[in-house]
Amino acid sequence: MEVLTEKNTKQTPSKPPKSMSPWAIARRKFVRNKLAMVSSFFLLTVMIMSFLAPYITTIDITRVNIGQMSLPPSGEHWLGTDKSGRDVFVRLLYGGRVSLTVGIAATALIVVFGTVIGSIAGYFGGVVDSVLMRFTDFILNFPFLVFVIVLNAILFGKLSGVWVLIVVISVLGWGGVARLVRSKILSEKENEYILAAISIGCKPSKVIIKHLLPNVLSTIIVQATILFATMIVAESGLSYLGFGVPTEVPSWGNMLSTSRDPDVMQNMPWTWIPPAVVLTLTILSINFIGEGIKDALNPKSYR
Amino acid sequence: MLKYTLRRILGMIPMLFLISVVVFTLALAMPGDPFSGEIDPNNTDPEYIEEMREKLGLNDPIHVQYGRWITNFVQGDFGKSTRYKMPVSDLIAERMPNTIFLGVTSLAITYILAFAMGMYAGRRPYTPGDHFIGGFNYFGLAIPSYIAGVFAIYLFSFQLGWIPFQGSVDITLEKGTLDYWISKIHHVITPAIVLGLLSTASYTQFLRNDIIENSRKDFVRTARAKGTPERKIYNVHILRNSVIPLITFLGFDIVTLVNGAIITEAIFTYPGIGQLFLSSVTNQDYPVLMTLTMMFSFLVLLGNLIADILYGVVDPRIRLD
Repeated sequence: MEVLTEKNTKQTPSKPPKSMSPWAIARRKFVRNKLAMVSSFFLLTVMIMSFLAPYITTIDITRVNIGQMSLPPSGEHWLGTDKSGRDVFVRLLYGGRVSLTVGIAATALIVVFGTVIGSIAGYFGGVVDSVLMRFTDFILNFPFLVFVIVLNAILFGKLSGVWVLIVVISVLGWGGVARLVRSKILSEKENEYILAAISIGCKPSKVIIKHLLPNVLSTIIVQATILFATMIVAESGLSYLGFGVPTEVPSWGNMLSTSRDPDVMQNMPWTWIPPAVVLTLTILSINFIGEGIKDALNPKSYR
Repeated sequence: MLKYTLRRILGMIPMLFLISVVVFTLALAMPGDPFSGEIDPNNTDPEYIEEMREKLGLNDPIHVQYGRWITNFVQGDFGKSTRYKMPVSDLIAERMPNTIFLGVTSLAITYILAFAMGMYAGRRPYTPGDHFIGGFNYFGLAIPSYIAGVFAIYLFSFQLGWIPFQGSVDITLEKGTLDYWISKIHHVITPAIVLGLLSTASYTQFLRNDIIENSRKDFVRTARAKGTPERKIYNVHILRNSVIPLITFLGFDIVTLVNGAIITEAIFTYPGIGQLFLSSVTNQDYPVLMTLTMMFSFLVLLGNLIADILYGVVDPRIRLD
């Protein structure tokens, strides 16, 4: 920072030194956080490898290969093969694709929906607020897992593949975000700049989008990272139980669920340990990134 | 306080009504006839089916069907399981003790571990011991319970042979004997630890941070100044203040246990309510499914209610809201 300041003062001595924007400060703090950086690197690697899976390998994952069933790890099959002769490493890549897609899509839907409901309730207050918040309480009072399982059973076959799960999780999961955004908006709208914006004739939609949301964005971002981890856990947990994505689709949870067969668990650990380890590391790294972002966006913390 | 509590309890009634409507609608939306358990599946004579449908009231308008279901439900008649051919209430009564046993053991372990670790780490912040506990907490928060469960089974029952990997008790033992109870505890201990892992980690972290925060307050300085032993300051003065917010988590524990029991019981094939629920979904056993869904929702409502009331007890400002 000092170097920058010197340079600025030399070039334009009359102007005061330009200070960094809040986002630039946050970025600097985040980059200095070693744990968060390592985690980001890991997560990025996992994401790239999973989403580019069809380009990395050309093996057909759906084909049952009778000649190569239950092989331990070897040079040909890095992590061995499962009971149907499918390569575990390849399935791990494709599984990551499904698990991460569910995580990202569900998080995006929840954040958008929760933010819309929360900001409308918080901004307008009164009857609108009461109605929306009662509705949110109603959603929050459902036991999440129980209703996801029931809804999934109903919708199964009516929508294609993983989208059933994404929709179901999102429909039942937005309550927390809505409540959080509402409380933040409630305190933020008391500021004078909002009064100013309203008095110069800004429409409510403009006040919310241009003035209020940027100021609660940091909270939403932090919440989104936590949600991302939670959603990946939810997906794989449900798939483990057999109520998540369809069993023929490879996902980390579905791979892990093969361990429910005692024979597989005892004698073929190479089929279920890799997804378990990758899943745990992914969640751990998302948590660290979340901590890092929270720290970086908090103006009171110095590192 | 009483007024606040009453208001909260009354507020539960419309919520329960709405949830019952949702549960009923979901049951109608599920594939198959939700109330067709009484019809003999082998008799395909359309006349017989029509007759039975009429007799069971499946041809009535939906609101009449709902009225009948909810009236019976409130009176404790939950219908008959289509799979087990026995009243749902009996079926639940048979499985319930196992789940309660699991939940209570899990809570006990959670609180003992959380208190021990939280107090240790809070008293010695930033020492190696604290960092070790902190590291454990990170893993506790990040590892999903099913992964922890799978690893626990692989390690402790398949590799080391310490614990059984399924069931709730050794069925060869006679009920009521000492061996029977030892076997029960032996079966429940690992699922209970796995179920409580997440709460243990978060409570430990919470207690540690709260103790550190409290130890900087004025009353601690006063206590030190008048020569109170350090032990007493931490175990009496500070702990009392730090335990209060922790008490309010008790309500949320019920919610966690409801969600957690389903997964944990599935991993350890532990015959409890959660497993009954999963099998009722797979077998389309609607009377059981509806009763359990209502029961879980009620428990979650109750948990949130307890949490709110405890908040009111701890923080008088909330009662005014």
